[in-house]
Amino acid sequence: MSGSPFNPEGPNPDPAGPDQHPEETGPAPTYTGRVRVTSPLASAPRHVRRTVRQEIDESTGVGEVYMRSLIRSQLRAALTVVITLLLSLGVLPIVLLTVDSVATYRIWGVPLPWLLLGVVTYPCLVVLGWLYVRQAERAERDFAELVEAVGDEDPQDPA
Amino acid sequence: MNTTYGIVAISLVAVATIGIGAFALRFSRTTSDFYVASRSVKPWLNSSAIGGEYLSAASFLGVAGLVLASGANMLWYPIGWTTGYLLLLVFVAAPLRRSGAYTVPDFAEVRLQSDAVRKVATVLVVAVGWLYLMPQFQGAGLTVRTVTGAPGWVGSVVVAGIVVVNVVLGGMRSITFVQAFQYWVKLTALLVPLFFLLQAWNDDGRPSPVAPSDWVDPFTTTDGPGLYLTYSVIAATFLGTMGLPHVVVRFYTNPDGHTARRTTLIVLVLLGLFYLLPTVYGVLGRVYAGDLVEAGRSDAVVLELPSRIIEGSMGEVLAALLTAGAFAAFLSTSSGLTMALAGVVGQELTGLDRGRLRQRRLSSISALRIAAAASVLVPLGLALSAERIAVASSVTFAFALAASTFCPLLVLGIWWRRLTAPGAIAGLVGGGLAAGLGPVLTIVAHPDGWFGTVMSQPALWSVPLGFGLMIAVSLMTRDAIPLNVARTMVRLHTPERLDVDRRDRASESLASPGDLP
Repeated sequence: MSGSPFNPEGPNPDPAGPDQHPEETGPAPTYTGRVRVTSPLASAPRHVRRTVRQEIDESTGVGEVYMRSLIRSQLRAALTVVITLLLSLGVLPIVLLTVDSVATYRIWGVPLPWLLLGVVTYPCLVVLGWLYVRQAERAERDFAELVEAVGDEDPQDPA
Repeated sequence: MNTTYGIVAISLVAVATIGIGAFALRFSRTTSDFYVASRSVKPWLNSSAIGGEYLSAASFLGVAGLVLASGANMLWYPIGWTTGYLLLLVFVAAPLRRSGAYTVPDFAEVRLQSDAVRKVATVLVVAVGWLYLMPQFQGAGLTVRTVTGAPGWVGSVVVAGIVVVNVVLGGMRSITFVQAFQYWVKLTALLVPLFFLLQAWNDDGRPSPVAPSDWVDPFTTTDGPGLYLTYSVIAATFLGTMGLPHVVVRFYTNPDGHTARRTTLIVLVLLGLFYLLPTVYGVLGRVYAGDLVEAGRSDAVVLELPSRIIEGSMGEVLAALLTAGAFAAFLSTSSGLTMALAGVVGQELTGLDRGRLRQRRLSSISALRIAAAASVLVPLGLALSAERIAVASSVTFAFALAASTFCPLLVLGIWWRRLTAPGAIAGLVGGGLAAGLGPVLTIVAHPDGWFGTVMSQPALWSVPLGFGLMIAVSLMTRDAIPLNVARTMVRLHTPERLDVDRRDRASESLASPGDLP
């Protein structure tokens, strides 16, 4: 709130100027002629509106930042899957080799390794793939919304 | 086994294959139809086609045979073949589709702007394809001989002939329908007899598998070389799938990156469903057909189980159904491979410009047809003349080769901006030589001990070698980074619904910032 014109002690001058506080200016003067009333922003340099799409198309620094963030989030999703695989299937041969109780454990007479490798792995792979697709498409949707929102919003938003 | 039923089953699959191909031909009009089915194949149809194409003889007959012979350790093969699709999904599927290229050589050229990389990649595609085709033809010969008693070359020639006819007549659109049909043939052919077999096993009092203890609990006795082999199989199959030519080419038939992901996810479901079944055949084989192991014919367990367990003509009919499934496996995998090879070679012949397929260019369709015939003849000749190598090991060589070459090219090309053409060539050649020489040395010289083990399954060291060479040489040749890499990255990674500039070269015609209001 420090820059607000409603704060008399604020460091920033309000548009009317630092010395003209409403309480101190006395009765409003009467004018006879027409007066041009403009916002002080109108005389400011015009804000050039550039869409993210243009930034990407022209490979500007901003466009590159957007692209890199998209690629990084997709790569992160992919690497999450890889790390999950390494920590599950990847260590399984060593676990089966070193921990005899896992290798010889039986469920209804079937050795656990047979169940893990022959049955359980497949639904797990499907679930992992499904989670990845959900994540990757969410990242793409967010990116698309970001790109389209900044390009097509009404020009009052200075973001 | 009853010869008549077997011949009828094989003929039915052959006729249905040609029939569906001819039916689909009515829709194949343009060059784009021939090469990529006009990029309009829906996820369900496409994933059935991928499943049909991917499940080769090694899956249909080989997995059950391996489980019968060596037990649970062999389950890493089907797991690897399925997980390969998961890694393809997370690293390659959508960006590869969005690259707009048609084959791996196309992708290499689009990404690296280098004709030399394209040439090297083309040679490797043909090498991987031939390594994969040869065992399919040999397996077909073996199956036909088992079922009908005809000489071995009959099956090989019949399969090669049907494949060429299909590719030549209908191209990719025709193949898509044929492949999708054959996935369901294969699943039905394994699933239906299994119900009867399990019923018979149940009525029999549920006998346990007759096997030595290291078959039941193989992991307690695994030694160092065994562990190396397991991890090498994991490396080859997990990473090799994304580089197989017939797998990669399928992704260009998806309409966009979004459907490419959906398709891959459904493929995971279809493969997981299928691979539950061969294990049961392998275990039942230990109950009823343990003698096949000593006879060295464990690959035949799927074909022989029904007539051993179920008496009379019912067993014969089920055996015929399984024969039909096996034949569908040979046909679909070799069709897909031939189509992929023909696409790559055909494009080299006509010099099509970076996968931009011009409509109604008859000359390029003729090139595809000539290339199809040529790509079948060499592996057919090899299959007929060469000493028979086990189906599974020849297929594994193809996986190791693809994992050491195309996997680094695709993964680094899609995710790493600093990949350069010299780096890619170094990795392709180095990884390819490593993965190629190991098996050759094994077959020719039969080295013993650790050296022999390491050479027979090279993937665990040849894949890091391929990646390492590509990264190191790329870092040494930084000024060779293609100028348009930023534009290519936009093209590979932005969703299609965004209307961004995806052209190859950064265009100068765009308004510069100064021209804006």
